[in-house]
Amino acid sequence: MKRWLVAAGLSAIPFLSANAQPAGDAVRPLVILTQPQAASPQDYQAAEMTAEAWKALGLKVTVRPLPGQQFNQIVWYERQRWDTTTWQMVGRPERSDPDELTYNLFVSANIANGYNLVGLNSPDYDKLAQAQREELDLPKRQALIRQAQELINQQQPYGFMVHPKNLVAFNQTVWDESSMQVQAGIGIRNFWTWTNLKPKGTQKDVIVNSVAPPTNLSPFNIPGAQGSWATELVWDRLMRIGPDGLPRPWAAESVTRPTATTVDVVLRSGMKWHDGLPVTIEDAVFSLEAPGFGDKAPMYRPFVGNIAKVDITGPMSLRITLKRPDAAFLVSSLSKLNLAPKHIWAPIFEDLKNKPETAESIMEKVPVGSGPFKFVSVKLTEQIVLEANKDHWAKPNVDRWIMRIAPNVEATLGALKSGEINFLTDYTGDPDLLTQLAKSTPTIKVADSLDIGFRFIAYNERRPPFNDVAFRRALSAVMDREALAADAYGGAAVPANSWISPALAFWADPGIDKRVPGGSLAAAKKILTDAGYVFVGNELHYPVGVKETTPVYN
Amino acid sequence: MLRLAAGRLGHLVLVLWVVTTLTFVLFRLMPGDPTLNFLSPSFSQETRAALLKGFGLDRSLWEQYLIYMGNLLRGELGQSFLQGKSVAALLGEALPNTVILTLVSLTAAYAFGIVAGAFLAFRRGGVVEALAIPTTLATRAAPEFWLGMLLLAGLAFQAGWFPTGGALSPGKEMGSFSESLISADYWWHLALPALTLMLFLQGLPLLLMRATMLEVLNDEFIVMARMKGLSRWSIVMRHAARNALLPVVTAFALGLGASIGGNVVVETVFAWPGIGRLLVQAVQSADYPLAQGAFLLIAAVLVVMNTVADLAYAALDPRVSVGAKR
Repeated sequence: MKRWLVAAGLSAIPFLSANAQPAGDAVRPLVILTQPQAASPQDYQAAEMTAEAWKALGLKVTVRPLPGQQFNQIVWYERQRWDTTTWQMVGRPERSDPDELTYNLFVSANIANGYNLVGLNSPDYDKLAQAQREELDLPKRQALIRQAQELINQQQPYGFMVHPKNLVAFNQTVWDESSMQVQAGIGIRNFWTWTNLKPKGTQKDVIVNSVAPPTNLSPFNIPGAQGSWATELVWDRLMRIGPDGLPRPWAAESVTRPTATTVDVVLRSGMKWHDGLPVTIEDAVFSLEAPGFGDKAPMYRPFVGNIAKVDITGPMSLRITLKRPDAAFLVSSLSKLNLAPKHIWAPIFEDLKNKPETAESIMEKVPVGSGPFKFVSVKLTEQIVLEANKDHWAKPNVDRWIMRIAPNVEATLGALKSGEINFLTDYTGDPDLLTQLAKSTPTIKVADSLDIGFRFIAYNERRPPFNDVAFRRALSAVMDREALAADAYGGAAVPANSWISPALAFWADPGIDKRVPGGSLAAAKKILTDAGYVFVGNELHYPVGVKETTPVYN
Repeated sequence: MLRLAAGRLGHLVLVLWVVTTLTFVLFRLMPGDPTLNFLSPSFSQETRAALLKGFGLDRSLWEQYLIYMGNLLRGELGQSFLQGKSVAALLGEALPNTVILTLVSLTAAYAFGIVAGAFLAFRRGGVVEALAIPTTLATRAAPEFWLGMLLLAGLAFQAGWFPTGGALSPGKEMGSFSESLISADYWWHLALPALTLMLFLQGLPLLLMRATMLEVLNDEFIVMARMKGLSRWSIVMRHAARNALLPVVTAFALGLGASIGGNVVVETVFAWPGIGRLLVQAVQSADYPLAQGAFLLIAAVLVVMNTVADLAYAALDPRVSVGAKR
């Protein structure tokens, strides 16, 4: 009994270190979730390197790889459970405007179910995110976006790692490089390249690859990154993101904004659907309204959520009235929504009214769009074959656009060498292998470009000590971003400290990657000791009086 | 015999019901659901709810099960969540490719294994046997993906004799599978995956044939054949091999059943559009109807082939009763 009392008494006294400095409980062993090495070798190695860096701060850190579905399930739906996780945001043309990520990643409204996975709750950030969304004056909006980046730099909700580079390669004896278009933050694998590409000889089929099978191809489904390459060629949009990263009219002859909440669109005349019928103003109105019909197009519904009404104002013109000002509307909605033929899709939506299915799951036998390419055949585990629409006002120079779907990354290198593909568009393997292949094969040329996306380690603020900004800053400070870019990502990346890539020069905050608070191991330790954390030998303890109450991730 | 066949068929139906139920429950016990394929910054709880409703996953497990079993009894396998096509149509596209790959590689493996096994038994103790047995064991033990990658590196990347993957050249279209079957392009694409699978499969018939032959070669009728002055070829192939074939034929039937679902690795390495690849994709993306359909098909083929082997055995050899009451 005496022994119990002594033990209980001792445990009530704050821990006394060798130099008699009082301290709280030792920080529990922390876990970094990531994908298995086979699925994502770069992220896995980055997690390993980060774990080693954090161990220098007296932490016990383990890396826990999880299979894809389980990984997503835990990070997305079990938000109280994990400490930290690797994650990535990929580059898409519509992310050329910073709104989508600026708003969704960090606003408090998204803590429970949305993309604010880390649970950052900052009223100041919420105001900035909303203000930039409503600010139509570009220089003013730029200033707001940069303020938001600095606020996140101070808060460090993520340990930003790198902005990756896109690695693509092509056969330079087949394709004229000067006809390729470089799109800011996307590189040469983009819509503008496919519509402008000029063959050098008799091979007029552009054969690209995908290592992942796309999902159902429909104008109301987002079929993954690779599937989108095909759908954006088949279905026109009123606007498209240009090579400069800014929205420009496409199927619209003009788009103007008379007021902050109205958008006037004049539809290009003479356009035809692939089945020969004309594209009408009613089709355009339908395409803007259909995603909002009940819950039948849930993937596209958010992009029309701000549309109050659409009125036809002339034979080829319409006016969109917004519920509230939206600076990114031209990018996030008009450059995203596909023009779908009303004569085909209106009956489908009508039929769906009494069924549980959504429009995402419907695939026409021969999908009909009005874009510069039309469908020939689709087998989602083998290949997608499109042919040039010679009646299109921007008719392509190539005959066909073919996507080969093969999961074996190494085999795709062989396919590029043998000519089975002539444009390597999806390469997730070792960058060195591709570079070596290009060196030994003069016909192959590699083109890299900085991506809009970024990779990071998310700190879950629901679980102490990640709710402490000093702790997060210290973790970020000891991450060696140069080494991560060089070693984990094989040199095909640049260091990051923001969600806005330097590829978007207008919005990026130059030099922010050098302004991580602290910036070295000594500085990181000082951040922690200044915040009251105590190093007991080689072990990091909470400030005095603080108990470890959070269970270790299991 | 009829009683035996009826018993076997009852057994078959029971096994398929158990497999169907297990796969239905197992996929739903796995972490995650198909909506995880659609995560994006604009993804909301409402989006998820609508997608789950569209997939029929908003209902209770019992309701889902009863609907699934009801559909199954009507011969409907449902709609793939992610490919916008019926599961039956997707399986129908993939199955012929798997059957051809399996038949070609298995037949080649057994033809080679039977002849080589008989030969090695006859030449027991020689240098040939000392080299051949370890080589056979090595190819049997080597992982299929490794064998496949070696063949790809050597015969496709370096020599350029074969394509690196797929069933047809890029952009090539065939109106039907029978058109593919008579196309040289299809067989050219089939060569490497079939060779990989053949190398992997030939070990079993070779070793089985050799072991059975060694027993048979000691039988009295072989001694008699030798005394009669028959040629070596005649003794090995006409007398000994025919008697050693029964277990090998049984293994062929079972191997055929097992291979339908066992080609996952080869089909993935060579991007061969068969059932195995479809299954991997369905499991990875939690496409329950497609995964259930693929598993059910694989199980059905396996169980049917087992039943066929049992019945054939009983028909061929009256001493075998396979559980029938005497």
